[in-house]
This record gives sequence, structure tokens and C-alpha cells, in this order.
Amino acid sequence: MKSSVFWSLVRKDLYVLRGFMIATVSVGVLSVFLLSLGRIGFAVGGILFLTANVASGIFIAMYSLLTERKDRSRAFALSLPISGAGHDQSKLVSGYLAFGMPWLLLTGIAVFVVLAGPSGTRGMVVYALMIQVFVLALFSVVQASLFVITTEALSGIVILFTNICFSLFMVTVNQPQITAPLRTAQIVWTPFAQRMLTGELAVIVLTLAFVAILTSRKRDYL
Amino acid sequence: MSTVISTDAFTMQNVSKSFRYFRLEGLNLSLSQGQIMGLVGPNGAGKSTTIRLLMGLLQPETGSIQVQGHRMPDQGHVAKREVAFVSDEMSLFTTATLEWHMRFIASIYPDWDEVYARQLLKRFNLQPKQGIKGMSRGEHVKSMLLLALARRPRLLVLDEPTSGLDPVARHELLSELMQIVRDDTRSILFSSHNTLDVERISDQIAFIDRGRLVDARDKESFLERWRRLSIDVPAGVTLPRLAHVVDLSLGERLATLTTDHYEPALHSLLEKSGARVHEVQRMTLEEIFVASVMRSRTEGES
Repeated sequence: MKSSVFWSLVRKDLYVLRGFMIATVSVGVLSVFLLSLGRIGFAVGGILFLTANVASGIFIAMYSLLTERKDRSRAFALSLPISGAGHDQSKLVSGYLAFGMPWLLLTGIAVFVVLAGPSGTRGMVVYALMIQVFVLALFSVVQASLFVITTEALSGIVILFTNICFSLFMVTVNQPQITAPLRTAQIVWTPFAQRMLTGELAVIVLTLAFVAILTSRKRDYL
Repeated sequence: MSTVISTDAFTMQNVSKSFRYFRLEGLNLSLSQGQIMGLVGPNGAGKSTTIRLLMGLLQPETGSIQVQGHRMPDQGHVAKREVAFVSDEMSLFTTATLEWHMRFIASIYPDWDEVYARQLLKRFNLQPKQGIKGMSRGEHVKSMLLLALARRPRLLVLDEPTSGLDPVARHELLSELMQIVRDDTRSILFSSHNTLDVERISDQIAFIDRGRLVDARDKESFLERWRRLSIDVPAGVTLPRLAHVVDLSLGERLATLTTDHYEPALHSLLEKSGARVHEVQRMTLEEIFVASVMRSRTEGES
């Protein structure tokens, strides 16, 4: 073999998904710029930043897994010298990379913006991290479910579920008793923030384990 | 990379696989190196399932499958280094160009033949910079075939490769396939509805229907053994009971008898009874296929 088929497939996915990655970063950077344009700009920028993050996860997972099945390019990928499980694992890795690289960049920008802002609100870094890790956990759930789901109708239900979860999450973390302890000059890891981040990381680990078990037990690939 | 020397391009022994509404049952099939096998069957016969099992994309419930000496599906990732698979139910990546796909496949397969790929581009009249999304069905199929052929596989597996191709492109493809097996270590399995294509290039032919192998043998045996006889049957004459009669239809004076074991001795047997063989017709592969399938279904129902 000239090059690892696994990594060739990962590179292929990053190439195919490059449009989503570029769009996510572009919208994310634009939204950060809008944050500095007064109250309305801040509100629009904030919504745009969150939308860019959440929508990117859904689009990447949908396009990488569901569209490949629908347009039958999955059969072409499976004709290459890789096992079915190897192919699924390459989808998992490429999905995390395609979502994770823009996510990491935008998370870095968000942290920088908070730290570079008024010194009295530096503690809001924890708030930003809770949101960003929640978005990553949502992506993990969507991606893991699309390893099982093969129809657009069911994938629509998953997307609806993630939207509801995200809305509930935002309502929860925006309660004054949650945000007030974070609006400090010092970075404080409140018990709520600790529990939330632990829960988010646990979801990511569980979805990874779910996909690992699923791919090891699967026997039919087309 | 270890190479397993095998005298058979593939073997399938007693392979079964069930789905909700379909069962492929006890399939035994093999192909020697350097041969072309045509897999013929009606819609829903099990051709694509057979090919997917062969490619390791499905796991058989019973039986064993070996491709180029590798056990499937466990060693599928190794076997597929030497096998190219093209199906009409397959698509290239729609957001990329043909040229990108050529680079992609060249980066994976050490035997990729760039000169041959460029020749095929011209022969198939394909534009490398063209996006897959904008291609016609025929261009898409030809692109997949280019990517399969230029990697110089030892076994080429094609599921309905000529569907969507115009007659000229079909002719070009079949010519290419015959060129490939000039090197007698390369083999081809292809499924098709089109018995003319199969008859033109196959060495071996397998008929499949309703998940069962109806018949499999070399093309010449099929064509030499099957005959349709027109027989004059004068009034009062009863035809003798004959073995290997696949179909017999009786008119007022004329009977038509189809046999899968034709031999000249049949004439004397018929003439002894007072009948006279009026005409002996060779049968086309399509006629043989239809007669085989009908017989198999009748036997299955009875």
C-alpha cells in the first residue's frame, strides 16, 4: 500500500467537508466582530456565533454520514482496501476533525475575547467553555446517532432533539444564579460549572464508546 | 505486502444469507484465474447480494468465501487490494472532480497505471476537471470504470456495469474487459441483465434466480448442449419419453422440444417413433437463460 487507506479516507472527508469548515470559521469570526458593535451587535453576534457552532456540527455529521449513504458514495469508499469497521472508524475521526478544528479555533477566539475584555468579567471564560463543550457533546450525540439512523425522517427527529436540548441548556446556564458567580475578575469553577462540564465530557466519552461497540459488532455494511 | 497465490480468483461454498423478504441459499460458485464469468439473473435474483458477499460487504450466515486466496469478510481489507469493484448502485464523491478521484485512487494503489488512465480518459471521452455532480449517468459509470481498470486489479467485479451506457460506450467497455484477461492472471466477474454482453465476452456463465444458482458452466457447454428441435409428429404417433427435455410444446402436427443435452442420437430415437426432426436450432444465451429459469421455477414449485 502506498498510503494508509484509513488516513486517505480521513483526508478525503476533510476535503469533501472543507466548505462547511470554512463557512463555520468565517461566520464565527464575523460574529465575534459583531460582538463589538454595541448591544444589538452583541446580541446578533452572540446568536450567530452559537448558530455557527451548532449548525456546523449538524451539517458535518449529516453530510459525512447520511449524505454518503444517500448518494451511494459509501459503496465506493467500501470498495477500497479497508474493512467496514475501519471505514466507520475513519468517519468517526474525520467527523471529529472536521467539526473539531473550527470548534477549537472558535473556542480559542471566544476565550480570547472574554480574557481581552473588561477585567471584571474574566470569570465568564467558564461560561464560554460550558457552552462550547456542550456544543461538542451535542455534535457527538448527533454523529453517534447517525451511525445507526439511515433515514432522513429519523435524523430530523435527532436534530429536533438536539435543538430542544440546546435551548433548555441555554435557559439553564443563563439563569442569574448560574451566571452571577461567574461575572468576576477571577476564573471560578463553580460546583454547577464542574458538574456541567463533567456531564458534557461524560456524554462525549459515552457516544465514543457507543460507536466503538457498534462498529465492532456490525457485520453487514451495505 | 504478502501475496497469496491462488488458482481460483474466488470460491463461494454453500453460502447463504437471509433478509426479511429474500434468501440466498446454498450458493456454490468459483472462477479460475484468467477467466470472465457472467452472472445472469432477473431483477431481485440475488446477483447484487452475491457480489456484496464476495466483496465482504455482507457476512454470510453459512458457508465460506475466498477471494484471491483471502477469507472473506475477515480478510476483506487485504483481498480488496487486488480487487476492483464497480456497481451501478455506487457513486463517486459528488463534490470532487474526476482528476481528484484519480489522484485519490493513485495514492492508495501501488499498481495504478497513470498512462493507461490517460488513455482511458481519451477513449471514454472524459474531462478530468469535470465535477462528478455535473456528469451524465454514462460519464459517471465510465469514470468509475476508469478508476477501477487503471488500478490494474487481479479481479474485477462489476455489478451491472453496462447499465446507463450507450451502445458505443458499451462496446468500448467490453473490448477493454477482453483486453484485461489477455493477461491470464486477471479475472472478471460481472453481472448483467444483458445476455448479449455476457455471451460476447464470458468464458463462464452462471444463472441465478430467486436466490438460487440455477446453472453454472462454461459458455461453450451452454451453447453446444442446448437446442430447440422442431419435430413433425404425424397423426397417431406418440413421442417417446426422453431424458433432458426442458420444454415440450405440442401443436397439431408440429412439436417444439427444448433440450439441455443435445446429441445427434436424439434424431434416431425420435425417428424410431415415427416422428421426423424438421429443424434443429441453436439457442441464444437469452433463450437458454429463460428456459433454465422457467425449468428451475417449475421444479421449485413442484
